[in-house]
Amino acid sequence: MRTPRLYLRLLGAHFRSMLEYEADFVILALATVLMQVVNIVFLAALFAKVPDVHGWTFWSVLIMFGAVALAEGFCSLFFDGMWSLAWQINRGDLDYFLVRPYPVALQSSSANVGINGLSNIVMGGIMIGTGLAHADIPWTPWRALLGVILLISSVVIKLSINLATNAVSFWLSSPTPMFAFAMHQVGDLARFPLSVYPVALKAVLGAVLPFAFISFFPTAYLLDTGQSRWLGLITPLVAAYCAGAAALVFKRGLRRYESAGN
Amino acid sequence: MPIVEAKALTKVFRRPDKGPGLGGSVKHLFARRFTDKVAVDHVDLSIEAGEAVAYVGPNGAGKSTTVKLLSGILVPTSGEVRIDGLHPQRDRMTVAHRIGVLFGQRTQLWWDLPVAESLAVLRDLYGIDRATYRKRLARFDEVLALGEILPVMGRKLSLGQRMRADLAAALLHAPRVVYLDEPTIGLDLAVKDRVREFFRSVRDEGTTVMLTSHDLADIEGFCRRLVIIDEGRIIFDGDLEAVKDRFARERILHIETARPAPLETLRASLPGAEVTVEDTPVRYAVRFDRFAMTAGQVVTALAGLAELVDIRVDEPSIEDVIRRVYSGELVLG
Repeated sequence: MRTPRLYLRLLGAHFRSMLEYEADFVILALATVLMQVVNIVFLAALFAKVPDVHGWTFWSVLIMFGAVALAEGFCSLFFDGMWSLAWQINRGDLDYFLVRPYPVALQSSSANVGINGLSNIVMGGIMIGTGLAHADIPWTPWRALLGVILLISSVVIKLSINLATNAVSFWLSSPTPMFAFAMHQVGDLARFPLSVYPVALKAVLGAVLPFAFISFFPTAYLLDTGQSRWLGLITPLVAAYCAGAAALVFKRGLRRYESAGN
Repeated sequence: MPIVEAKALTKVFRRPDKGPGLGGSVKHLFARRFTDKVAVDHVDLSIEAGEAVAYVGPNGAGKSTTVKLLSGILVPTSGEVRIDGLHPQRDRMTVAHRIGVLFGQRTQLWWDLPVAESLAVLRDLYGIDRATYRKRLARFDEVLALGEILPVMGRKLSLGQRMRADLAAALLHAPRVVYLDEPTIGLDLAVKDRVREFFRSVRDEGTTVMLTSHDLADIEGFCRRLVIIDEGRIIFDGDLEAVKDRFARERILHIETARPAPLETLRASLPGAEVTVEDTPVRYAVRFDRFAMTAGQVVTALAGLAELVDIRVDEPSIEDVIRRVYSGELVLG
């Protein structure tokens, strides 16, 4: 329990200093809400023309949008420092991280608080809630618990992809996380039913960078929609696999760390 | 068992060979060529608990790289490091509790937090209990005058303030070994004195210290052992006083006489010494080997020949010796 408690301690230190910039806080929060509203307007316009996409209605796609927003929100609110990893490597900030008795990846990811994550979590929660309310799901305690497990797994997957793609900075010398950002953009595709994509893209989103397990597969399982709904059940396994793989990539990368000023 | 041990420690950095400008970068994408730079070359080093070691060398000699290897920040290309018998990467967490590191060029304080808050975060990371923490802070405060800088934001600290706070941060968890890499760089004299006094108090408490510095005044009177590195290799490892005895034997006695004295007579009276006239005809410099004659003997010899008005003895500093080693004039070992 020491590790998570200290993690909040590290984050909290930055959070307090961030509150000094109240205006930034409000503007960022509003901008994020606006972005999600634009997403919803776009979806509504799309579904005004077609009643459903391969069996997916407006409400079910809204759940997927919500799942992606929620996962992203958690990552920015609690692990935004990951996006500074390239910069930290370039400046040699990891020197001191490496001599402190705390995981290096967590020192890096706690270096920043993405306050916009808060509005993404709220908006994502609302989108998922509204979507589920319009879906015809026979709720049982078991199903509800499964829903929570799937949600946690999807956050872990997003987090692991972020960590692994940012850790690629150990091999690249750029001070900006361009590779990770490009992959993040790819992730946006997972907000739509996977069945609309060609096979190659399905393979990428389902296996290489399993973004589809953040939104599509778990939602398909919960809503009982689509052809391969059972895949949603392995989401926790995919999450465990991703977390392990990301930790490995980071560890390998750390061995290549060369500090700065040589 | 030594507390820090390095065996055949080697670090090679690989640098891309890029031509100038965008063209060079694009070309590099297709024809990848690299140059290997050996920063640390088969370094063997063994430091016993409680030792104070000075690690000196010219710019780019591999000092900082050695410190980063010995603290586990860099993974060696070959060779190995043991801290208290532990592997710095495999046992990183345990090693972290036993070592403290200060890089004079870079702070470990959080720029957006007051110093007190940065230190409190470190206290929690190292799991130091509050009573011990207060005791240590009070002790640091005595020498480093921390009190006045505790409420200051990291980004608003002057260089001297920052270094004092960083020293406290590096030693907060009472590490058994501390690496100080250029800890006085850019400081004014008053702060330097204070910081040096702090080093002494740390050493006297039995902490093993490895001090890397350009400022040789940092090491004189602090370290007994001197290690000199050049081009990644250790070219000397031994007793600092022995170096001085061996290579800083020469003394210069400056004298001023009431009236000009015949140089030939002075020279004749001091065989084995070298007498020269300085800026005015009444000032002379006598160079002699302090193991061949004493300053007293020189003065006695001269007093019989001329009326001495003023005398002064110059002792070469370790700085001169090391400078001569760097320039290749002296070969130690």
